[in-house]
Amino acid sequence: MIDREKLLDKYSAKVYKNRKDHIIQLEETDEARSIAANTRAIPGVMTARGCCYAGCKGVVVGPLKDVCVITHGPVGCGFYSWGTRRNKAKPDEHTDKNFVPYCFSTDMQESDIVFGGEKKLEKAIDEAMELFDPKCIMICSTCPIGLIGDDVQAVARRAEEKYGIKAIGFSCEGYKGVSQSGGHHIANNGVMRFIIGTGDTQPKTKFSVNILGEYNIGGDGWEEERILKRCGIEVLNLFTGDASCESLKSAHLAHLNLLMCHRSINYIAEMMKTKYGIDWLKVNFIGVGATCKSLREIAKYFNNSELTMRVEEVIADETAAVYDDMEYYKSKLTGKTAGIFSGGSRSHHYQVLLEDLGMKTVIAGYEFAHRDDYEGRVIIPQIKEDADNKNIESITVAPDERFYREVYTEEQIAALKAGEQGIGLNSYDGMIPEMGAGDVVVDDYNHFETDELIRLVKPDIFLSGIKDKYSIQKAGVSSRQIHSYDYSGPYAGFNGAVNFGRDVTMALYTNVWGLVTPPWKHEPMLVGSLGGGE
Amino acid sequence: MKNLVNLNVNPCKMCMPMGAVSALSGIKSCMTILHGSQGCATYIRRHMATHYNEPVDIASSSLTEHGTIFGGEANLIKGLENLIDLYNPEVIGVCTTCLAETIGEDISAIVKKFYEQNPDNDVKIINVASPGYGGTQNEGWFAALRAVVEQVEPDVTQNGKVSIITPQISPADIRWLKGFLSEMGIDCILLPDISDNLDGVTEKHYNRLKTGGTPLADVAKMAGAMLTIELSEYTNADNSPAEYLHRAYSVPFVKLPLPVGVRGVDSLIEALENIGGIVTENIIKERGRYLDAIVDSHKYCAEARAAVFGDPDFVASVTRLCCENGVLPVVIATASVSESLKEALAFETEACRDFCFAGEIPIVDDSDFAEIEQLCVSMGANLLIGSSDARRISHKLAVPLIRCAFPIHDYVGGQRVRILGFEGSLNLLDQTANAMLSTTETSFRGELYGKYCVHPTKPADKTAAHPCFGEHACHNARVHLPVAPKCNIQCNYCLRNFDCMNESRPGVSSRILTPHEAFERYIKLKETLPNLTVAGIAGPGDALANFEQTFETLRLIRDYDPDVTFCIATNGLMLPQYVCDLKELGVSHVTVTVNAVDPSIGAKIYKHIQYMGKTYTGLEGASILLASQLAGIKMLADAGIVVKVNCVTLKGVNDEHIFEVTQTAANLGAFMTNIMPHIPVKGSAFEYLDRMTNKEIVALRGKCGANIKQMTHCRQCRSDAAGTLDNDISLGLREIVPPAAVKTDYSRFAVATKSGAIVDTHFGQAQEFYIYDSDGEQVSFVETRKVSKYCNSAACEDKEDRWESVIRAVADCAAVLALRTGMMPEKRLKENGIDVITTYECVENAVLMATKERGKKYVIS
Repeated sequence: MIDREKLLDKYSAKVYKNRKDHIIQLEETDEARSIAANTRAIPGVMTARGCCYAGCKGVVVGPLKDVCVITHGPVGCGFYSWGTRRNKAKPDEHTDKNFVPYCFSTDMQESDIVFGGEKKLEKAIDEAMELFDPKCIMICSTCPIGLIGDDVQAVARRAEEKYGIKAIGFSCEGYKGVSQSGGHHIANNGVMRFIIGTGDTQPKTKFSVNILGEYNIGGDGWEEERILKRCGIEVLNLFTGDASCESLKSAHLAHLNLLMCHRSINYIAEMMKTKYGIDWLKVNFIGVGATCKSLREIAKYFNNSELTMRVEEVIADETAAVYDDMEYYKSKLTGKTAGIFSGGSRSHHYQVLLEDLGMKTVIAGYEFAHRDDYEGRVIIPQIKEDADNKNIESITVAPDERFYREVYTEEQIAALKAGEQGIGLNSYDGMIPEMGAGDVVVDDYNHFETDELIRLVKPDIFLSGIKDKYSIQKAGVSSRQIHSYDYSGPYAGFNGAVNFGRDVTMALYTNVWGLVTPPWKHEPMLVGSLGGGE
Repeated sequence: MKNLVNLNVNPCKMCMPMGAVSALSGIKSCMTILHGSQGCATYIRRHMATHYNEPVDIASSSLTEHGTIFGGEANLIKGLENLIDLYNPEVIGVCTTCLAETIGEDISAIVKKFYEQNPDNDVKIINVASPGYGGTQNEGWFAALRAVVEQVEPDVTQNGKVSIITPQISPADIRWLKGFLSEMGIDCILLPDISDNLDGVTEKHYNRLKTGGTPLADVAKMAGAMLTIELSEYTNADNSPAEYLHRAYSVPFVKLPLPVGVRGVDSLIEALENIGGIVTENIIKERGRYLDAIVDSHKYCAEARAAVFGDPDFVASVTRLCCENGVLPVVIATASVSESLKEALAFETEACRDFCFAGEIPIVDDSDFAEIEQLCVSMGANLLIGSSDARRISHKLAVPLIRCAFPIHDYVGGQRVRILGFEGSLNLLDQTANAMLSTTETSFRGELYGKYCVHPTKPADKTAAHPCFGEHACHNARVHLPVAPKCNIQCNYCLRNFDCMNESRPGVSSRILTPHEAFERYIKLKETLPNLTVAGIAGPGDALANFEQTFETLRLIRDYDPDVTFCIATNGLMLPQYVCDLKELGVSHVTVTVNAVDPSIGAKIYKHIQYMGKTYTGLEGASILLASQLAGIKMLADAGIVVKVNCVTLKGVNDEHIFEVTQTAANLGAFMTNIMPHIPVKGSAFEYLDRMTNKEIVALRGKCGANIKQMTHCRQCRSDAAGTLDNDISLGLREIVPPAAVKTDYSRFAVATKSGAIVDTHFGQAQEFYIYDSDGEQVSFVETRKVSKYCNSAACEDKEDRWESVIRAVADCAAVLALRTGMMPEKRLKENGIDVITTYECVENAVLMATKERGKKYVIS
């Protein structure tokens, strides 16, 4: 409790009143584990949050490799979201269309703001068609677009008619909602409404899955795919790392949805459950233990003895292969403490990996998570809608006549979920249950709080993003970027766990920290002898 | 050149707020808040932190939809208060964004209200209008500096100081500038000073509010300074701080280029000397060392053809640096709108390009990386100088990139980049020279090896293993990948419906594959044929008339199988253009069909050629083709590529001329020639030309053997042939084509042929039969069927089994066409209801004649 009080102490009364509900320090009992989240950031406190556009373009639709994503607005937004997420992609075979390395912007000027930008956008689409001939175009709006009244959806419709392609307009103006989260939701709606369900490429096997909320940072998704493939599980889509619009069209034909990042994509998982009857399973492929657990849950879902056997074989083989490395890093890291600040999922995922390495997470926080990411989906009915949330459209879907199919009945699902060995089908328990007494949980963390927590708690390593990295290091604490992995990765799966162990060990054992204090500071500044003594 | 005006593809610029906050980070005790949605601050912090490797704290007023409707006043005031609580700055910069400007926020009014609400607060607020759509980071930078000098309470007391205003340069360059001015004894005010704030130190206690930067008290004194030096040539009356100080306080000013290169640094020294600066011994020595160094390295720098891009001042000074040192700037681009850049640099580059015998040098503004990339390709740039955003071009074009401008995201050390002063310039020049040396270092061995060492030895190796080039390599398999459908010449012996006969058997056509399909076929074959060593592209058109497909196919295969030997077949028209690419792709064998080395003879053979978008006929066409062939073969040979020259011998047209062709081929460095008989194709211009007999061909080959090695084992295979020369398995590879409408009126024939073109094999010697169907009008090839040789000289014990095999192979045929047949076989065949026709004729004609001659006898109903 001490840490929390000290942390809040600096704030003015007004800010204190707001922040006290976003910062909790866990106690032994299950009480006081509720947290305020997904509310407006306080101006001027250096929040780590980004904007709605960042969530829609930067996170969800940006990685779609066969889509020409045009940022409609001034040039900055497109530039700043260009290739910064390290979502790896390889072009699909039989096509040379890979737009991931590109940035397309309408580069609006003052006159476009005054006279409207629709015409420019239409011409930009003409140019994009002529030069790049994409099968799908997405238009992402920046702040001025909604204000000057450009109708990107109408432009998209006209482009569809003119070129016979798929074109989707997203009204993801930066100011919408309270964080990137609103942008995720808007992107989810568009993908669900216009893409999923329009294809008919059948899975090749009877164990086919989509991995939702996997952005393939540093190749995470590929490591996951490798493991699943070994088990005989077919991965149809990574949403949206290394994903293509073409393949997403048939995502509804999968047998099961695996959910990595709950925050950014749970809307699609839920809607696909309603519309197509596809169950979803919250998985975590970060950490050896977590990966094994997730694989076993998938096997349990498919309930096929051959598959179960293969999964166990793969687990035995893979864990044996990384055992020595993991044991070595564990010997170096046991007892160390960590803090993690991330977007909306990783702070939970990485706790399990840190645990594999004998480390304890004592501070965890999210930029834009909702209460269900902290407290579990059971809390959803209690979340109050506010004006900001209402601004983000929430679409409802109905069972699809053609494609709706239930694998299991309600009773069977209940049976799968029941008991100690039950699997978390169609549910998520959140991050807080993973954490222990004394641990600090912060929602919508800001620069000041990060600095203060480091001072107060002094973890051995702090995992966060580039904006925090250098102040963390200036405070004398090791830092690793948990968004982009500092050009490293993958961190997922078995091989990823080893990579992570190596990176953290390197960070903690660098001899730089030992050199910070110069030798002359240890020695007396003046050397002399007492007078009279000979 | 620029073909996109509405779509910016890969921007070479950022927005105004980026420049504004960057400039304000050089003001002491200053925090900045962006008035708009929080993404702007987050994105900009992220980008600056990556470049400078420093904490970058930029606040946001976090406007939401509510704010866009009711105005952002409450948010901004709250933001200012919180910022003061947490950081306690002396100065706060309020910069607007697209959002604030679009909803029309009145910042002055809000600031006024803030002061009213917080009367005890003495923080100085500077507001900067910096809408994202208002310009690039360069405009934002100067907008902020201008706002600072305009909004600070001036101290007009004459102080004898010199103000120096810089565009966006690195902290290390600012640090150098400070040292340099102090060395010259100049008492100056530097605006802004980002040297400490964006390149900080590790200390015991981290100070959130950075301690470096230009104090506002110093900015105030700029109004009483003796001179303003603005190190930018591209500011204007609206955004130049120097011009404002002049207008408002009559401070004289001078605009100078960045002190880069001899002239750049000299101009600053001169200006400072004029106002009492001392040129120290050290500076003179540095200048001397610089000159000494550039003399030493100019040879290497002179190999560079640089693309320079970025902010106008950077581009202008680096271009001058290039020109001073023999680096030819071949692409000059800025993303700002700046017409004056073109004027300023046109004269500069003119002298340089005269010196280098270069053509027009493009100087473009309002540019993007898509355009810069295009220009790099067309101008043949071999060096990129600018920000790290060109890394994609660098990677794609394999051209080195010197990262020396903001932003640098893939390397460390952005904050330490040095280009100013003699040492900074030299740093850039050393990197230029070393980039050139590195290119040489990694390529010259290969080049020399290719030039002097490969020819005598390597062809022997590779050629020995090549089934077409080495006679004893028949055990090695090859695959021809039919990816090249188009042809750019029309030969009179050719009918376009079929594969090119330069390399392929006439009368058959292959299904065209896409490069990816071809690649898949290769992988599939490699799995079943471990002796597959050669992949070739021999049409069905011309490999180089379809260069994209050829290139892509070979690239894919090369990535998969680094040991593969590549060969291609071409008429040579496009050779000079592509020899370098072929070399790079690792093509080791090229077959060029040359039927004449005299244009007047060529004119009889070629109906027309298509070259660079134009059609040429007659002598003109033949001359162009010949020139390309001769140059191409020479270039191939020089590049260490083995060249085989095919000659199609046309009786009465070029048969007397073939000797000369082979002689020329030898002189040009070809490895062997392949003299082939012309096989008349029905419907072609040379349909009725007499055929060369085998004997004549053999005699001709013998005669030409004196000039050059002759190929004697050509099988004139298909453009989709696969397997060893004697065992073509290509037919099994082709996708199953749905059967055409069933023809009832046709006869089937088995043809004993080695070449596949002429009925030239003794029945007993045939190892395979070519099966043809004909209805008396059309002849269509069905398949080949392998049999054991019937007459295997000595060891003929299993004759009976062989017989069975032969009979089975031809059981569904009406007749067997062969050069000769023994009595016994003829009898046995006839017992099985199969006729025997002995002939020496072109296959197609023989089959046709057989059908007509034998009438309905063979019709299968």
